Amino acid sequence: MLSVKNLTKKFKHSVAVDNLSFDVIPGKIFGLLGPNGAGKTTTIRTVLNIIKPTSGTIIFNGRPITNQFFNQIGYLPEERGLYRRSKVIDVLKYFAELKNLSSVEAVKTADEWLEKLNITHYRNKRIEELSKGNQQKIQFITAVFHDPDLLILDEPFTGFDPINQQEIKELILSFVSSGKIIILSTHQMETAEKLCNEILLINNGLEVTSGDLADIKRQFGGNNIKLQFSGNSEFLKSFHGVIHYESYSNYAEVQLSDDISPSEFLHRIIDKIEIKHFSVIEPTLNKIFIDLIKEQPI
Amino acid sequence: MKKILAIAKWEFIEKVKTKTFIISLILTPIIIIGFSIVPTLLSTKEDARTKAIGVLDITGFYFDNVRKALEEYKLEDGQPNYIVINLIKDNDELNDNKTNADKNILENKIEGYLFINIPSPDSLVAEYRSRSIGNFRDVKRFEEVLNKIRIREELLNSGIDPGLISSLQKNIQLKQIRIEESGKEGKQDFLTVFFSSFIFIILLMMMVIYSGQMLVRSLIEEKSNKLIEVLISSCTPDELLTGKILGLSSLGLTQISIWALIGLGLVGGAVVPPEMFENILLMLLYFVLGFVFYTTLFVGIGSIVTTEQEAQQITTYLSLTLMLPIVIAMPAIQNPDVLILKVFSYIPLTIPSVMLLRVNIAPVPVIDLLITVSIMLISIYIMIKLSAKIFRIGILSYGGRPTIKEIIGWIKSG
Repeated sequence: MLSVKNLTKKFKHSVAVDNLSFDVIPGKIFGLLGPNGAGKTTTIRTVLNIIKPTSGTIIFNGRPITNQFFNQIGYLPEERGLYRRSKVIDVLKYFAELKNLSSVEAVKTADEWLEKLNITHYRNKRIEELSKGNQQKIQFITAVFHDPDLLILDEPFTGFDPINQQEIKELILSFVSSGKIIILSTHQMETAEKLCNEILLINNGLEVTSGDLADIKRQFGGNNIKLQFSGNSEFLKSFHGVIHYESYSNYAEVQLSDDISPSEFLHRIIDKIEIKHFSVIEPTLNKIFIDLIKEQPI
Repeated sequence: MKKILAIAKWEFIEKVKTKTFIISLILTPIIIIGFSIVPTLLSTKEDARTKAIGVLDITGFYFDNVRKALEEYKLEDGQPNYIVINLIKDNDELNDNKTNADKNILENKIEGYLFINIPSPDSLVAEYRSRSIGNFRDVKRFEEVLNKIRIREELLNSGIDPGLISSLQKNIQLKQIRIEESGKEGKQDFLTVFFSSFIFIILLMMMVIYSGQMLVRSLIEEKSNKLIEVLISSCTPDELLTGKILGLSSLGLTQISIWALIGLGLVGGAVVPPEMFENILLMLLYFVLGFVFYTTLFVGIGSIVTTEQEAQQITTYLSLTLMLPIVIAMPAIQNPDVLILKVFSYIPLTIPSVMLLRVNIAPVPVIDLLITVSIMLISIYIMIKLSAKIFRIGILSYGGRPTIKEIIGWIKSG
């Protein structure tokens, strides 16, 4: 288990992380969420022991995190980059050796992973000859091929096409069953919603909300309705019982106050516009995220 | 330790494979060989063929004597060095004679000619006219010959015994011999000192610039694409630093070994005089100390700068300090005790190159050797400590270049 207590990191002119506490348990994906500049990357760097926290403790499997844990950590940084002029297999071998694999093991593991991700034919190519997506795959391999106990993925899906995203998603899910501690940092709420069991939402270095994703949804879930229609729906903005109205190109989302049920609402509007689709929805994480961040004082 | 070796191996192999390395490996010796062989050729090489030299002697007195004297000079194979031709055609006017003679030069019939004239009874004018000026040895010989003839003639006229004159006119050639500590005689002349020192200084400078830039460039690359974060989450900054310095030093040593082999080959082939390598061990010592010192210095710098242009500027300026001895070489060779030389032999930045020069000029007292080597070792130690501190923080600081004040803060905080 990874246990972070009262983590604070101050820089010269700012507080990047302000008194954060969270636990990450194996077998679940922990989502570290927040808008750009919220303090996600700083939190990750402290957990990785790349930078020292101003205060607070980080306990990994019962012991403070130190350099001994290097080989048990896998890290995929948000900004990607590899030695562009070097060969794929050489780069993989180097990073494996840095994770304490022998050179024989390193090559063997690298080859296994190249095969797993269907990019064996790039083995002897230079990194710069590969497409961006394939470069990302190589970097993903460097984060996981030493079978780390703690895996930290910062925006793992950016730059991948949908097919590759699916492939990576399945890989990450397979790590869950093997009992790794996984932290996924992202501002893509759709991804977080699909993968994470627990989340910590931060903004300006402060915790906004945290806990089990299902609980949070229930907590924020109200009477939410998805509506497809034709006709002018402007009147809904000020309609009785409507707390929030959000119109998209093909549909609209309506949040109702507690004193009106969805079916009652349907009754009232049914002769005002032509309804094509009507369903009750849970709030998306995206919506929770936006609502919560907007509420935050800047 | 295992990781340090992995890093060193990576830095070494990835850089050995680059085109710039291979080019510098080949190009540097070519430049150096040019530096060392050309002066040797110029200063000692005898003419390979006999030269036809004309004499246009208006006085009619000098021609025979000049011919006799010049034909004394022999080529290596025993052939005469000069064939002396009389260009006077009795019927012609002076100007026609000159025109004809000049034409002979342009037509390559003669190398050049001596024009000897007496415009008034007590003045003698001599010219050497040729297609190119600058053959110092020929001109010096002609001067000597003409002077000897003139002096001999005047002495004879005043009734001095011809035998005495001959013995008076024997040249004394001054040989320069340097006495070394052990009491044996050194055989170096100015050029050998100059060039053997300079070869090493230039080698050192090229290697420092080259490997310093490589180091800084790779640091900037790792910083800009955040690879450094992956590295630092796999090993400590100190391991990374040590690995990089180790890898780069091995690269430097590989380079110098290959060059040394080439150098030995040249000595073996008698292309380069062996005296050039007389102080090779001391020179290698200062060379290696200098290289390691500058490499550690560049690690610190590399973790501060953010763009390649910046890096290039700083590495070039720093390496120029190595060129300092070339500026102070002349006064230093004339007087090895000159103060400036002593001063520069106590500054870490200049010790390597100044000492490379000093060991070749005059025997360096053992105490000076001990002091300079100690200064270098201590500076390297301090530099590693400083660079490591700057490195630890600098590699993770993005954005603009930090101010001097900030860097001092880093050093203190480490």
